[in-house]
Amino acid sequence: MSEQAIARQMNGSWVRDKIFLGLTPAEYLKSLVTPANAVIAVILAAGIPCLVLRFAKGLGAVSNLSQTWPWGLWVAFDVISGVALAAGGYTVACAVYIFGQKTFRPVLRPAILTGFLGYVFVLFGLIVDLGQPWRLPYQFFLTPGTTAVMYEVGWCVFLYLIVLGLEFAPAALEWLGLAKLRRLLEMMSIGIIVLGVTLSTLHQSSLGAFFLMTPEKVHPFWYSPFLPIFFFISSISAGIGMVIVESSLSHRAFHDRLDPKAPVDMTAITLGLAKAGALVLFAYFFIRLQGLAGSGRWDLLLTGWGAWYGVEMLGFILLPSFLFLVSVRRESVKLARFAGALTVLGVLLNRFNVSLFAYNWTLPKRYVPAAAEILISLTIVTLGVVVFRWIVNRMPVLAEHPDYRGSHE
Amino acid sequence: MPVNRRQILKLAAAAGATAALPGPGGAEAALARPSKDARAVLVDIANCVGCRSCEMACSEANRLPEPESDVNFETPRATGPDRFTVVNRATAKSAGGDERFAKTQCMHCVEPACASGCVVRALEKRADGPVVYHADRCLGCRYCMVACPFGVPKYEYTKLAPIVRKCTFCAERQAEGKPPACADACPNGALTFGKRAELIEEAKKRIYGTPGKYVSEIYGELEAGGTSWLYISDVPLQTLGLPPGVSKTSYPEMADRALSAVPFVITLWPPLLMGLWAMNKRKEEVAAAGKAGEGRHE
Amino acid sequence: MNGHELLSPHATKAIEYGIAVAYLLLFIPFWRAMSRPARARAKAPAFSFADLFQVPEGVHLHRGHAWARPEAGGVTVGIDDFGHGLVGPIDSFQLPIVGFRVRQGDSAFGLTAGGEKFALRAPVDGTVTEVNPLALSDPAALHRDPYGAGWLFRVQPVRLGHNVKTLFSGEKARKFLAESAEALQLAFRPEALSLAQDGGALVHGIARELDPEHWDDVVRASFLTR
Repeated sequence: MSEQAIARQMNGSWVRDKIFLGLTPAEYLKSLVTPANAVIAVILAAGIPCLVLRFAKGLGAVSNLSQTWPWGLWVAFDVISGVALAAGGYTVACAVYIFGQKTFRPVLRPAILTGFLGYVFVLFGLIVDLGQPWRLPYQFFLTPGTTAVMYEVGWCVFLYLIVLGLEFAPAALEWLGLAKLRRLLEMMSIGIIVLGVTLSTLHQSSLGAFFLMTPEKVHPFWYSPFLPIFFFISSISAGIGMVIVESSLSHRAFHDRLDPKAPVDMTAITLGLAKAGALVLFAYFFIRLQGLAGSGRWDLLLTGWGAWYGVEMLGFILLPSFLFLVSVRRESVKLARFAGALTVLGVLLNRFNVSLFAYNWTLPKRYVPAAAEILISLTIVTLGVVVFRWIVNRMPVLAEHPDYRGSHE
Repeated sequence: MPVNRRQILKLAAAAGATAALPGPGGAEAALARPSKDARAVLVDIANCVGCRSCEMACSEANRLPEPESDVNFETPRATGPDRFTVVNRATAKSAGGDERFAKTQCMHCVEPACASGCVVRALEKRADGPVVYHADRCLGCRYCMVACPFGVPKYEYTKLAPIVRKCTFCAERQAEGKPPACADACPNGALTFGKRAELIEEAKKRIYGTPGKYVSEIYGELEAGGTSWLYISDVPLQTLGLPPGVSKTSYPEMADRALSAVPFVITLWPPLLMGLWAMNKRKEEVAAAGKAGEGRHE
Repeated sequence: MNGHELLSPHATKAIEYGIAVAYLLLFIPFWRAMSRPARARAKAPAFSFADLFQVPEGVHLHRGHAWARPEAGGVTVGIDDFGHGLVGPIDSFQLPIVGFRVRQGDSAFGLTAGGEKFALRAPVDGTVTEVNPLALSDPAALHRDPYGAGWLFRVQPVRLGHNVKTLFSGEKARKFLAESAEALQLAFRPEALSLAQDGGALVHGIARELDPEHWDDVVRASFLTR
């Protein structure tokens, strides 16, 4: 009998087995009372009313968006940063499938899940931010604005969501026991992966292309005709950093979901990622330096903006690059994790700089997000984490499914 | 698993599907090529007395609330969702000590950033000049507001089904052969409606015809690659409240440079990636065969 | 680029080329700094668990760490290198009597060590023909020669060809033992590495060292008789 069937027998109904983790509904609800869930409940209790307000009263009622600041926290964080931080999906998939680096296989499914949920919640953030979100399909099926960067981003994100769904589907199918469908998907896997990497290259860079038309609005240190390349390269480092951070958090938080018979060599994985991170960040630093040279505005280095630019470049790009290098030499997983966190913060900082802080840099009146905007963003992230947790606790993400062990490409 | 034909075909189908998607054309694709008869307005600052008849006429023609009758020109006003044009006082006086005023509104650029950046073509450049807005398509992404170097589009943040609001260049009146309401209403000849090419000539005539009077620059001739609202002034242009530092090249071209790389990525990435995959697969097979051979020597 | 240019276009381009060349020059030491530990690690004789274990010619290992060696008079059975090292000093053996029929994979014999009782699975099918008297008189001595004098009992096989298919021999056997040891190391602490070595051999009774509380569970998990 398959382990599936055994579990089902032991746990009674399908619902009890699959949804309530084998507990009775009462036991399951009781198990949800934890400090972490209390924090989540507080966040949702504050944020969901804000969401309701946003749709009941309009954008002006909940946000500090204005005529001079059409894009605020939701675009900067939930959309632009969200896409960058979901880049682990395509970077690890590329490493495992295209470059044959089987070492990273144990973190592939979590990375794809992070990517998939990341993009789903980017879509969520978009729906919150758009004035008339129900018109989203118009760009595909009604009056496509083919010259628009957003058109390319729209198609890419739409297709990539499908790709990520297909890449994650085998895990869900294993959970549901649908072996034939799962085998069908496994056959298509390399095509899906290649499509995913291509689409990611396109939309990660296009998020930078949004700001190509705003050379006067974005500070010369952050504007460049090569913004798309900057965004693409930094998305790779963001993906690497996120996988390092997410895998270390998951292995601790979901320790009981790991397979004791198949221990994962987190040291090799983390240090392998650290090596890649060191190289990417090192190159990215010099590419950004080229952007500075291209702007010709060395005079601005002596201003406050210059200092801020230095903080981003030295503290969040060059420093993590060197920390990764040292962590590889010393074989220190702890240092690599710190460098990974620094890298993620650096990409967040960069995305915020381009779209918010260094945007409208000559305007004295700055945009500050309203409390409701912050709560809504926080709610979106929290919901993403909750769904991630729900899935990891049930589906074979951190460990192989016993019935499908070793049956991967 | 060896690279097999089935996988390559599957991949080719996927690549073909993406290539067949309506890909981005050149910047001109969604924008009508400006016809030789494209209309424009010449704003002669020297002739503007700040009467704001243009504001009145605009609000009437577009069914907007009436502009305030008493305006304190101390603080400059901005256009808004219900105010498509405003007249502000310049921060400099003329050589003769007179106050000067400037009307601002949508510039109806020859190659508008807003229209090229609109994902649903809600903003569209018509061949005869106006950049028109289709409220029934707009999904409210507000990218037009981000892209416009003049900060023109305004958004209805207070509404539940908000739309973008801006000067329409009285496109309907123009279709009937009439001038825009503001140009029609101006009592002092500050606004002259006509063909863009002819107005540029007229502007040059005025500049060179009265040496020393005008600043020898037509704001809007090259700004953003050329706009339909052209300004000549006898006070420095930067005192008029018009955005300085606007690029003298077309904005859509800047985005198009990046978008033109897209078909290349779509075409080159799949064979590159498949090639790498195949190379690594081969390496693995060779290594596995080596190990198996070793084992057989038991 | 717009904005006032402090530098002429020539100077700007020169700086850009300069940055690119500087990057290339700096890349070389950067790459080398990162590759060195890996090379150093590879050069130093890396400790490999596979080196700890010997599996003599003709010996077939069962997943439960019993071994079988076909000989002229039948098949000899014992406990492998790793099994002895895992369980440590043995107090006594419980071996099947002559004439007893064993089946491959069935729990067929046992031992007592450190006050705990452990069962082990038979590696082959057959009838017991002989029991090693040394196992009964001096059980603690058997680990010194697990595949030779440390044999436990002999059986008359009935399905040897079939049985052998599910056993490990030669290189596969060494790999199996190495993986068993590595799994222990990963499941416990990295320091198990140093504990594991005692002059180049596995510390005797390593299970008790790794997990004093639940070492018997560890042993039973390895013997597949939880």
